[in-house]
Amino acid sequence: MTVLRRLRPPIVGALYALNAFCAFHLFLNYVGSIQLVSGPSMLPTMAEEGEAVIENRLSFRLNPGGLNRGDLVTFESPLAPGRFVCKRLLGLPGDIICVDPTGSKAPSSEHVVVPKGHIWLMGDNAVLSRDSRDYGPVPLSLVRGTLWARVYPFNRVTVFRNPTTFLLH
Amino acid sequence: MHHPSHPFGLVGRWSRNAYNYWKNVSSRQPLVRRVQSALFWLPTMTVFTQVGCTIRAVTGNSMQPTLNPDLSRPRDVAIFNRWSIVIKRRYERGDVVAFRSPQEYGKLLVKRLIALPGDKVVKTLPPYPDTEVIIPDGHGWLEGDAPFNSEDSNHFGPVPLALIDSKLSCVLWPLDRVRAIDFHTTGTQAERVVQRSRT
Repeated sequence: MTVLRRLRPPIVGALYALNAFCAFHLFLNYVGSIQLVSGPSMLPTMAEEGEAVIENRLSFRLNPGGLNRGDLVTFESPLAPGRFVCKRLLGLPGDIICVDPTGSKAPSSEHVVVPKGHIWLMGDNAVLSRDSRDYGPVPLSLVRGTLWARVYPFNRVTVFRNPTTFLLH
Repeated sequence: MHHPSHPFGLVGRWSRNAYNYWKNVSSRQPLVRRVQSALFWLPTMTVFTQVGCTIRAVTGNSMQPTLNPDLSRPRDVAIFNRWSIVIKRRYERGDVVAFRSPQEYGKLLVKRLIALPGDKVVKTLPPYPDTEVIIPDGHGWLEGDAPFNSEDSNHFGPVPLALIDSKLSCVLWPLDRVRAIDFHTTGTQAERVVQRSRT
């Protein structure tokens, strides 16, 4: 009995702590979180290492059709389940995309139509990026969120703005 | 709580204090308090369904005869195991899995995983354009048990394994259908796959 009485507070405390931890996890999962980014594929928008960004997951969850061309999108890699990557959105469903204008991964004359429920993503640093040119259009169901701002290093704090300009004719 | 030295002490105490505060300011009606206490533990329950397991009904006839063998009867309700997919990331040929549709955002499909990265599917079914496919890295080939009657890889090609959400482990309802799900490929499915050589 005495053993039980002495064990009860720690067990109950651990349950409450677990609940608080779960609530925090859900916040990170559904609303947004701070993420470290690494890799050369998004140069010069993001440095190769040592940068932290705020990922916004709420907007995409509430309005999956609200993505725009030029947004920085985070998604689970189609090549490696469990690995999350960030690229720039180039094409929405129905757009006609030139697979690789540089001609290194596909002839520069090759064009594809982005199918329904998919998007076309590309790294800003085309030379060192594995993106839709390698694995084709990415299902919207793999998208997790968009990048909102860079918070570290402090001298490079930025709110990412959509750089896209459209040619009218 | 008079044992501040127990594990998770601080967080546990903060959380408990918040709960006690909430109880003090809230209603004295027993029913309302019940509901409030259930709401308080909602985060733990939600995370459990996200990483542990969840229960869902399966619609449609594409997995006959494994699931919903008789459409005139109530739909099969099954346990969907998330742990082995989300945490362990274990994908095996023959698993019956639920995955997010690559074509339609927000739609969940249930199919059988019959080929893994590196495998070759030698006889795809129409409407797939090629007769042979080598499954690329990180992808799988998913097919319904009822051929020609199913929206599966024969329509949209190899599917990223990252789209797989959970693995079905057993049928719970209707009562006479209660059983563990058979993780063996049916009929000709296995014959149509050449497994990657293990080196």
